[in-house]
Amino acid sequence: MPRSRTSTEWSVEFDTLRRQNLFKSPPSDRSAYPALAAAVRPHVESFNALFENQKFVEEGLLDTGIHTVVDGDPRDTNRDLARNRLDLRVADVVLEKPVLPASNKFSVRCREILPSECRERHVSYRGKLKAKLQWRTNNGDWSESWREFGQMPIMLRTNRCHLQKYTPSQLVQHKEESEEQGGYFIINGNERLIRMLILSRRNYPMAIIRNTFTGRGPTFTKFAVQIRSVRPDQTSQTNVLHYLSDGNVTFRFSWKKAEYLIPVMMILKALVETNDREIYEGIVGPLTKQSSNSFVTDRLEMLLRTYKVYGLVGKRKTRAYLGEKFRSVLDVPITMSDEEAGVKFLRKVVMPHLGNCNVTETQDNDKFQQLLFMIRKLYALAAGECAVDNPDAVSNQEVLLGGFLYGMVLKERIQEWLTTIGSLAVQWANVKDRKFADPSFNTEFLPAVVKKSNENIGNLLEYFLSTGNLVSPTGLDLSQTSGFSVVAEKINFYRFISHFRMIHRGNFFAQLKTTTVRKLLPESWGFLCPVHTPDGSPCGLLNHLAHQCEVHVTNTDVSGIEAALVKLGIFGQPSLAVGESVVVQLDGRILGYCSPPQARMIAHTLRYWKVKGENGIPLELEIGFVPNSNRGLYPGLFLFSQASRMMRRVKYLPLDKPDYIGPFEQPFMEIACVATDVIPGLSTHMEYEPTNVLSILANMTPFSDFNQSPRNMYQCQMSKQAMGTPGTSLKYRTDNKAYLLQTGQTPIVRPPLYNKYGLDNFPNGMNAVVAVISYTGYDMDDAMIINKSSHERGFGDGVIYKTKLYSLEAASHGGIRSKAAMTKLFGFAPQGERDPKATDILGEDGIAFIGSRVREGDIVAAYHSVMFDPSAGRHQNLDQRTSFFKYKDPEEAYIEHIRIIGSETGDQPCQALSIKYRIPRRPVIGDKFSSRHGQKGVCSQLWPSINMPFSETGIQPDVIINPHAFPSRMTIGMFVESLAGKAGALHGLAQDSTPFQFSEEDTAGDYFGHQLQAAGFNFYGNEPMYSGVTGKEFAADIYLGVVYYQRLRHMVSDKFQVRTTGPVNGLTGQPVKGRSKGGGIRVGEMERDALIAHGAAFLLQDRLMNCSDATRAWICRDCGSFLSTQVSISAYTLKGRGAGRGGGGQQTSGVVRCRACARKALIGDSKMDIWEDGNGARFVGGDDTTVVNVPAVLRYLDVELSAMGVKMKFRVEP
Amino acid sequence: MATPQRELYQAPPQRDSSIAGSGALQQNSSGAAYTPSYGGGVADSLVSSSVTYVCGECASKVALNLGDAIRCKECGHRVLYKERTKRMVQFEAR
Repeated sequence: MPRSRTSTEWSVEFDTLRRQNLFKSPPSDRSAYPALAAAVRPHVESFNALFENQKFVEEGLLDTGIHTVVDGDPRDTNRDLARNRLDLRVADVVLEKPVLPASNKFSVRCREILPSECRERHVSYRGKLKAKLQWRTNNGDWSESWREFGQMPIMLRTNRCHLQKYTPSQLVQHKEESEEQGGYFIINGNERLIRMLILSRRNYPMAIIRNTFTGRGPTFTKFAVQIRSVRPDQTSQTNVLHYLSDGNVTFRFSWKKAEYLIPVMMILKALVETNDREIYEGIVGPLTKQSSNSFVTDRLEMLLRTYKVYGLVGKRKTRAYLGEKFRSVLDVPITMSDEEAGVKFLRKVVMPHLGNCNVTETQDNDKFQQLLFMIRKLYALAAGECAVDNPDAVSNQEVLLGGFLYGMVLKERIQEWLTTIGSLAVQWANVKDRKFADPSFNTEFLPAVVKKSNENIGNLLEYFLSTGNLVSPTGLDLSQTSGFSVVAEKINFYRFISHFRMIHRGNFFAQLKTTTVRKLLPESWGFLCPVHTPDGSPCGLLNHLAHQCEVHVTNTDVSGIEAALVKLGIFGQPSLAVGESVVVQLDGRILGYCSPPQARMIAHTLRYWKVKGENGIPLELEIGFVPNSNRGLYPGLFLFSQASRMMRRVKYLPLDKPDYIGPFEQPFMEIACVATDVIPGLSTHMEYEPTNVLSILANMTPFSDFNQSPRNMYQCQMSKQAMGTPGTSLKYRTDNKAYLLQTGQTPIVRPPLYNKYGLDNFPNGMNAVVAVISYTGYDMDDAMIINKSSHERGFGDGVIYKTKLYSLEAASHGGIRSKAAMTKLFGFAPQGERDPKATDILGEDGIAFIGSRVREGDIVAAYHSVMFDPSAGRHQNLDQRTSFFKYKDPEEAYIEHIRIIGSETGDQPCQALSIKYRIPRRPVIGDKFSSRHGQKGVCSQLWPSINMPFSETGIQPDVIINPHAFPSRMTIGMFVESLAGKAGALHGLAQDSTPFQFSEEDTAGDYFGHQLQAAGFNFYGNEPMYSGVTGKEFAADIYLGVVYYQRLRHMVSDKFQVRTTGPVNGLTGQPVKGRSKGGGIRVGEMERDALIAHGAAFLLQDRLMNCSDATRAWICRDCGSFLSTQVSISAYTLKGRGAGRGGGGQQTSGVVRCRACARKALIGDSKMDIWEDGNGARFVGGDDTTVVNVPAVLRYLDVELSAMGVKMKFRVEP
Repeated sequence: MATPQRELYQAPPQRDSSIAGSGALQQNSSGAAYTPSYGGGVADSLVSSSVTYVCGECASKVALNLGDAIRCKECGHRVLYKERTKRMVQFEAR
């Protein structure tokens, strides 16, 4: 029987049977939840684009080009010296899927390494990286060699991952989640992802005003025009034009983290063969038309005149001049001419998006035209004729995707490797004055030069992923060097999926004092979720994509656009007055100019064609039409087609078809939110759903439109901290800490999107009958009372799984060590005596039993040291001693699972164990719970069921919360959820909780009230209730309903901290801090003040002295010093019996005397008064000492002060 | 003999005397062919008794001795799971 295709349509219904079937037999055609895959797609596709589709790595190799070095004396600057050239290039880079190494001869059937194995073995999921190195000497034939670059981590479910095309049923077979979407890397068994970053929009000249620019040098002003030019391999180079107060324009760029300034005229003249008139006309417009803008013409004259001092005439001379200045910066070989170096400079630095390798004259002209446009825009900005582009608005931003960044790092590492080989080759040549042309070079190049370089590029990439640190000579044009990767925590599925929708503004902005970058701007509408951002320090910097927002990953085919535009009529000659002509650009390339009305017509026509799919206009094209305005944004028609843009789907009204719009064009479009917003003749687009602006998590808040907005933000945070269901493949996961809710339920009240995203596979809480009543006094201040009976039935029951890796060789982790190098083995020492205590707990193999209970300090595994005996071919234990691994956590746990981890080669004895512990965590008093409306609370009592209030139908609440939780927080959504949940439970309905579905005319209260009435309940949700203690009816009716509750992962068991005595700091004698170390909690200044105010002096004494660093110290009453007291030895209490020991046997008298107050003993002193110090010096006096109770730090302070020459004197009374 | 053995209950080994514990074990399983591979007591150090694990890939039983390479004999997989103990696991439920 042919099975029908798995349906991907979902409604709000429970669909219990359908889900059950999906669980029992995961589909073998496709996933039932395509929305999940779409959510992660930007990550996966960006990785895919590296080696296939767009082949960004290949583009990177092209951009890197040939690295040339020459032999001969490097100090000799004579350029005519005969030298041999060595050209180096990487022609190809190949990344293989993860497979077993060839040294493993045991696995025949399946040689693939799957992600699940990497998780279980705590290693990285990576494949072999290879590159084809080519070299030639003196333009001869290319020789080549495939170099192994080590192992490069691979993103899951990409085209280098085995799981890419797996169906849900195959995924389950291979120990994955049935809805595994990938998008992350596995590094040492942990899942990490490269998070998305916000960058400024590529290939768009942005007008910026920054006061810091004035500090760059004399005459610098705050005005600049900046373009972030992106090469085909996605790396970028930022070019900035600065406006100087005298009217000049300076071109600024940074290269290898250093900044350089060049007069813009020099670049203009180097790009094309031009003259002053052409430049003048290119900026102002044809001279025939008299331009009236003297602001620009004056400054332009200045620009042209001041350049004359350089005396550079013609393209070649200018290029040579640039080349001479920048040849050391660009690291070009000494044999290269200045002009060639200048060409390389223009190719590498000046707007590489318009041509970065084999630059043609047309491309140079494109660069020239774009520079002229930027100058025009800069003058307009300086004259105050146009507004600045806001770099904090989404319209001027794009996304740096994880895969792209990964590719950039790879490109740079390869580039650096080439440079290293180059310098190694030069080193080789310098020894004994060898030449590249020598025949010995070809034989020695690979073994003596290339082998010396660090070829393990895979390792460097793994370092990048595991630390998130970017080690880069160029900085990749980014504003930060760390924090690029984060752990994809699977606290619950909500948190996990949020990681992939997360988009960060950059660490640099987190340090800014101003809040402008954090503001929620209207441009973000539909692209970034306004609700889903954390509160606190990352607020507004760490955003999440709206759930319908996509990130464009491919460069679309734009070959048809130019032809279409020509058909619509654009001309080549610009004009200074934007009223006459505005620019038409495609991805930062100027296509031409047209009049403003024509620009509007072109924009509209293009859009119509694009949605209809005519004239080769791709649907993903962004048609950014900035209309002419009075001092608004600089007008023009800016088309964008390249990757990394945010995009979203809206309905195009003229054709009633979907259109994709980007953030740049959106502010200038008329998009209606709902049908009633449509203005005929004006609105061109309409949203498909108003909820499309919300993120996945924000959409899960029921009736969020009824809540005060910060409450929805809190809920987005709390749903990510809920103890939920990380997944169904929990058995094969080795998270350091995993939380699992045992009794998760599907919420009765949920939006249809809940099913669309398949969240029933990952329940995150449970439905609870909630009474809003002030009942016992235990529900004050956001505390909640849980029915003890519900607790016993499993309400909120959860466990924590902790996985610990016990490795014998700390250094060998992941690496392959030879058998002979092993010094330890698991198990009891063979001939050794076995401690019965250990054999009780451990099995014959020296590993604990599964299912056994362990407490702090219990033994979990045994090991012994060994030496490899080559004659016997096995390991021998010599010392017969057994050592043990212990369970160190303070909490009692059960051993859930033990993995014996072998090596990749399959021929090594066990060197690592992974033990998974289960820690049961039933709810206890002090555990945190929350509803889905930012209403969190702490369980304050498990109230006995018999004492709970009950309703007329005999229903007792599971949870009691205090009515005071509502007035100030205004979470009306929770009331509505309570109503809807109650009605849903009574009728067996799944209630749709999508926001914005009710109105003033059709209220939620009416809708659910009628449902309640139909079930025979009060319209308003109130019910008469009776006290569980007295049985009497309450005076007021109680609001009783069903609310979905989450149990949060913050539990008292992880938090409680108590101490009377314990570890103290060695220097001060005060208690250490930190819960894990058994430290104390600080009684700070304010706590001290409170105690003083209460007159609780003895309590203060107890906290600050007795439980801290109270010591008994000797002090001299005369001189008031701690430091001069010392133990004295009475001269005449020599031990008689210890005569054999010469001079020894002296006894301390136990009397402490003050050395400072004593004087040297004289002949006439009474023998009874004389005392000795340890050295035998004799003294008299200093007897007036006493013992006082002081804090130990006081003595320490005294010591420190005396070291500075400050004396402390204490008056001791009485 | 041919019928597969039911897993026998084994008394947990005594804490104080391991010899007595293993003696009790033998009494318990007297007559049965089942030889316990787990349990307390001083193992005979001459016979290195192997312990069976379960392959993480094909779920076949793998018997390993001390110092053996970690690898499934059937499929060559490199992660083995320890089997759940056949000893009685009993906790006081309070």
